[in-house]
Amino acid sequence: MNILKDHINLFTLVAALVILVATLSMSSSLFKAMRESKADGELYGGKDHSYDGIGEFLNNIPMGWVVSFLVFIVWGLWYIFMGYPMSSYSQIGEYNKELAAYNKNFEAKWQNLKDKDLEQMGQGIFLVQCSQCHGLEATGLNNTARNLAKWGKEAGIEEVIAQGSVGLGYQAGEMPPMGLNAEDSKAVASYVMADISALHHTKYPKLVQKGQTIFQSTCASCHGADGKGQAGMAADLTHYGTPALLQEVLDKGKKGHIGEMPSFAYRHFSPTQVKALATYIQSLQGDE
Amino acid sequence: MFTFLEKNPFFFTLAFVVAFAVAGVVEILPNFFKSARPIEGLKPYTILETAGRQVYINEGCYNCHSQLIRPFQAEVQRYGAYSLSGEYAYDRPFLWGSRRIGPDLHRVGDVRTTAWHEKHMLDPTSVVPGSIMPAYKHLFKKDADFNTAFAEAYTQKEVFNVPYDKPGGVQLGDMQKAKKLFLEEAKGIVDHMQDPEIKAALKEGRVKEIVALIAYLNSLGQGRIEAPKASAKGQ
Repeated sequence: MNILKDHINLFTLVAALVILVATLSMSSSLFKAMRESKADGELYGGKDHSYDGIGEFLNNIPMGWVVSFLVFIVWGLWYIFMGYPMSSYSQIGEYNKELAAYNKNFEAKWQNLKDKDLEQMGQGIFLVQCSQCHGLEATGLNNTARNLAKWGKEAGIEEVIAQGSVGLGYQAGEMPPMGLNAEDSKAVASYVMADISALHHTKYPKLVQKGQTIFQSTCASCHGADGKGQAGMAADLTHYGTPALLQEVLDKGKKGHIGEMPSFAYRHFSPTQVKALATYIQSLQGDE
Repeated sequence: MFTFLEKNPFFFTLAFVVAFAVAGVVEILPNFFKSARPIEGLKPYTILETAGRQVYINEGCYNCHSQLIRPFQAEVQRYGAYSLSGEYAYDRPFLWGSRRIGPDLHRVGDVRTTAWHEKHMLDPTSVVPGSIMPAYKHLFKKDADFNTAFAEAYTQKEVFNVPYDKPGGVQLGDMQKAKKLFLEEAKGIVDHMQDPEIKAALKEGRVKEIVALIAYLNSLGQGRIEAPKASAKGQ
């Protein structure tokens, strides 16, 4: 009797039994009626009203039936002209409804997400949308794509200073390798992270002063003294490590030194999702 | 007038069915015709993409991959805007698939690159750990079948009136011209690939199946059509 352990099976069998019993009792009562029932009732129009000796019973419409019939007609009119969605059902309409409900549901939740939640959300999006190229660990999958554990942090800036950068289509064109020594580029990175980027946080606060000097002499010619990139001349470094830069890369795509990243504009990530992704990427503290 | 029908239940039923079917024809069919029209801006498959499509069919990709994104939040989030009927107007046969063992591919051209496809086809687990897709190394060896692809595209044009050779549209031309276009397009793909053998083969005028397949996969998505304006703003 293993099959009955599943309560759905049990319900089904019980229901089948009930239907069987009801069917049998109903048909037996009908058979009985065929054998035994006599026609009785009031004759319509008395004895005179008969055709070839066949009379007719009075057969008044039951009141309940009349009422329900009329109610049904009224309901039918209402349904046809008002109740039925005249725009008619469509899957797309249902989708839009679903979307609205979904957004409403999450709006309140997204208003004040904690960093931890953003990180988790970002990781979820990352695994589905990005991990095929950037790898599950976001370390770039053996140089298939950018190592995001460094991207948006000091190490990322050092990498760019060492290798140059290309692909986001700024007027200044390709950024060549700058040829700074490791110490200097670390200093520049810490200065950008601490004073220019909106993150305003660096791991090496001691180097900021030195970085500022080098930045003004080496980088400011393209990125501007304030690091804002001189209105599209070069990358706006105030965005570095923030959702704004991520949004830019997602929208434009990037054809860089490693390979090509297609534009993800078509995925229509919401600002919250981009923020979540950026938070997740920031949370990856890569190998320095 | 209808006494005949009233006396013959069978014919009455028949007449009833016919009358009822008229409603269906009047109400439903026009909508079918309307929604099956090619969506505005839809481009037919180029000759190389047609060859790639045939590779896709030969290899039975549709057994594990669908090409139909349903209008549900979860699907749109993952695969991109939902599919519209008009996008399949030039798909003969359609490749909707019936199950997803791998992901849906209807918008795969938007978010994958040639280089990625090359790695993935050579060794799927190198880019998607845990993938159960087999490696398709033989596609790097076999040549794409230009003649069949041309015959296919030509049939689409002649029999089904698919708009090839329209000004500003996808060109097909005669066999020589098509071959030229085929090789040109293949070059655009091969330039982004790494395999030296494929590059060498192209120099000799031979296009490998993998190149055609990648061209086809790249065409799935925005390449064929502008993004639907009212597409889901994924939240």
